[in-house]
Amino acid sequence: MQPTTDPTAAAVLAVVFVPFAAAALVPLVYRVLGERTAYYAAAVALACFSLVASQYGTHGQVVVPWIDSLGVSLRFYVDGLSLLVGFLASGVGVLILTYSGGYMHDEPGKPKYYAALLAFMGSMLGVAFAADLIALFVFWELTSLSSFVLIGHYQRTDDSRYAARKSMLITVSGGLFMLVGFLLLHEVVAEMATDANAFSIVYMLEHAEAVQEELRAAGLFVPVLGLLVVGAATKSAQVPAHIWLPNAMEAPTPVSAFLHSATMVKAGVYLLGRFRPVLVSHEWELLLVALGLTTMTVAAVLAVAATDIKELLAYSTASHLGLIVAGFGFVSELGGETGAFHILNHAMFKAALFLVAGIIAHEAGTRRIQGLGGLKEDLPITAAIAAVASLGMAGVPPFNGFYSKEFLFEAAYHAAAHSGGLAWLFPVVAVFGSVFTFLYSIRFLMLFFGEKPTGLHTVHTPPKTMLVPPLILATAAGIIGLGGVTATFGVPITPLNHFVGEVFASVLPPAEAEGVHFGYHLPKHVSPAAVMSAVTIGVGAAAYPFYGRLHDGINRLLDVDPLRANWYYDGAVFGANGLSDRVTPLVQNGLLRTYATWTFATVSALALSGYVAAGISIPAFEGLGLSPALLLVLLVAVVGAVAVSIAPSHVSGVLTLSILGFMVAVFYVLADAPDLALTQLVVETLSLVIFLLVLDKLPAFYGTASRSRMIRDGMLSVAVGATVFVTVLVTTDTSPANPITDFFTNPAVTVEKAGGHNIVNVILVDFRAFDTMGEISVVAMAALSVLTLIAMRERGETQ
Amino acid sequence: MSTVIARTVTRTVVPIILVTAVALLLQGHNLPGGGFIAGVLTTTAFALIYIIYGLDYLEEELLHQFREPLLESMRHGIVENYQIAFGVGLALAAVAGLVPILFGHNFLYQTYWVLHHLPIYGELHVASALAFDLGVYCVVVGALLTILAVVGSE
Repeated sequence: MQPTTDPTAAAVLAVVFVPFAAAALVPLVYRVLGERTAYYAAAVALACFSLVASQYGTHGQVVVPWIDSLGVSLRFYVDGLSLLVGFLASGVGVLILTYSGGYMHDEPGKPKYYAALLAFMGSMLGVAFAADLIALFVFWELTSLSSFVLIGHYQRTDDSRYAARKSMLITVSGGLFMLVGFLLLHEVVAEMATDANAFSIVYMLEHAEAVQEELRAAGLFVPVLGLLVVGAATKSAQVPAHIWLPNAMEAPTPVSAFLHSATMVKAGVYLLGRFRPVLVSHEWELLLVALGLTTMTVAAVLAVAATDIKELLAYSTASHLGLIVAGFGFVSELGGETGAFHILNHAMFKAALFLVAGIIAHEAGTRRIQGLGGLKEDLPITAAIAAVASLGMAGVPPFNGFYSKEFLFEAAYHAAAHSGGLAWLFPVVAVFGSVFTFLYSIRFLMLFFGEKPTGLHTVHTPPKTMLVPPLILATAAGIIGLGGVTATFGVPITPLNHFVGEVFASVLPPAEAEGVHFGYHLPKHVSPAAVMSAVTIGVGAAAYPFYGRLHDGINRLLDVDPLRANWYYDGAVFGANGLSDRVTPLVQNGLLRTYATWTFATVSALALSGYVAAGISIPAFEGLGLSPALLLVLLVAVVGAVAVSIAPSHVSGVLTLSILGFMVAVFYVLADAPDLALTQLVVETLSLVIFLLVLDKLPAFYGTASRSRMIRDGMLSVAVGATVFVTVLVTTDTSPANPITDFFTNPAVTVEKAGGHNIVNVILVDFRAFDTMGEISVVAMAALSVLTLIAMRERGETQ
Repeated sequence: MSTVIARTVTRTVVPIILVTAVALLLQGHNLPGGGFIAGVLTTTAFALIYIIYGLDYLEEELLHQFREPLLESMRHGIVENYQIAFGVGLALAAVAGLVPILFGHNFLYQTYWVLHHLPIYGELHVASALAFDLGVYCVVVGALLTILAVVGSE
């Protein structure tokens, strides 16, 4: 069963990087092709699809070194699961990009749209194939970034911006949780693996049980599990992070179809599938099944309350992702089968339905459920597509969604029968949620039947580019459904079963993955799962006449603020906005002294609390150990410092400050650092001269400060002084056994190699010349920015 | 500010400062000194002229330059020369880094030659790092003087 051929490195790398390169070329291509850029993009996606297809049947990894010193590589892994997501991302990508050619006809910002869509596809392929924790995280966040651009496509509308920001905030912050989980995982794996393998997911998969034991031994199993699930749940819109998905429907419909049915939201369940072999356990089951079934039910109920067809589909997506999560959650093999199979089924019917929704919105001009009906007359082919897809979504036999839902019911029943007690909630909740799934699926289908409401003008036939992609998807969904029927009569679709079997094998721990077989068929006799399906459809059909009342009732419930997750999100985000509006004028009021106050106070507080937290003790005082000459110089410096603070005018302030500076220079001379002394002298002279230049422009006397301000500033300066003092004491307390001076004072190094006797200069121009180069670039940039600022002011740009 | 004493002292001191700066630049590899210090010192000399003689004196009386300014704040045409100075400096430093690559060494690789039997000097170490140091010098002088002249004219 397990294929052993290794994947072709060039092909795998090309799959991931070609879309990015193609995205970079879009602006140029658009200039030449204009509207037809859609076909260019679709061709790129097709190329990726065929590259993925060429790797079908291979199994293994491709490694490209990336950050060697940290053991991070660009590691790509080809197995059933990554191929499935890779096929979905590129295959659905082809259809979506083709469809976009028709849909985006009159829309603004097309180059940006195609570039972002291609970049998104690349990131998604990266997520699918990446097998290095860091690389996976990078691609993961890239999908969030590119989807941010895509959701906010209509950047001039507030709704669109709100939606883009919401999805970004939720998915990116979830990704950060995941990163912490990854780093903990890495720490633990580093104990047992070589450095080069510590980030490798392949290694973890191969040693799944050992990794889990190690995690438990370190007491990090539950934290890692929790953090990864947070990442997956935000990405896959699980309750309560499901709120970004309906808003994301602000994006153009092809984007919704692509991101929110087939790909991005699948990244979360993909992650769960990917780590399932490593983390699967009792805790895993409890957490994921509870999360998944809750999401499935809550989102299905919300979908019934939806008034917009895309909103309905969005909630239904969240609901089906909940089903997949719950499926992966069950420890039994049936759970893995549910997840693996439903990812495929859901992508087929939901992408098709989104495209159908796009056709309706585009041709009927409205997306309000109330205002639509009887579309079958004008859109017969679309109606057929919708029928296959939504019956699949409803879980009606013999359509594709039925079989994967059947696996879920079976898994839930077995888990309940095995554990008993509260576990009986699993099948009950699963059936309850499925009833609502059935309801909204039928409601969507009914858009095409019944009477045409008044006010709906003639609906045009969509262009072929918009019709063919959903047709292909629905055909695929139909074939999967038919496969179950033929399998009942002993003729299964072997290639499909084989493929899903491989996906299934990759979500199982290696010990169980040997020789698994996958097959599905209609129930041949009365089983618990078949009864559950029958109950679902029966109750659903009985409740459908009351759909309107249910819809209204749920909406009335949602008017209660604390029942809506959105209410919490808006409260937090707008609360944070208000807070920053209040804080900003305090911290950044345009006065240099305010910035200095805050910066100094923060640095002191952080440094001092850091010392306290680390329990650092100040070394014992061992006498000054200074020569009288040095002591005298430092004494004069202290006098100068005091004099600066009580200087009555600018001139005396500058002069006393110079005393301090020159004393430091003399100190350098006495401490055998002529180069430093020279620099200090020269810089001190220059700043004195510059002060003289500006001095007569300034008022002669300082203003008077209030007493409270004086006290505050005094305390602050004491704190800063204390911080610096402690820092110097602590840092100079221990010196390394092999100071670096030994290396540089060695004549064999400085004189022989660099031909110079002045260590400081040799370091500056030879050993660390690259640093110096950076520094002089900074100096040059500073000069340029001064020029720019002055020039801007003269053109009247004061802000 | 410009008393006779100040003018006279400046007139005497500026050439000395400049010569010292050049000396510091050249001896930097073996004795205290180097591009940065020499650059700051040169800037000090120019700053002194600016303060004592005013901003226009340098270009009009000493360098005989008259230019139509692009912008009001750059009415001192010499600012352009300063810009050229730090541009050339950066280029010099970069080229000094790149040349070793032609000879199959690393970026910024430095070497030195010893010249024998020279008049006056006898034996002289010439480090390739001097070119890089000269770049640093030009950048420091150019950039600081740009800032000084532009801000000073405000």
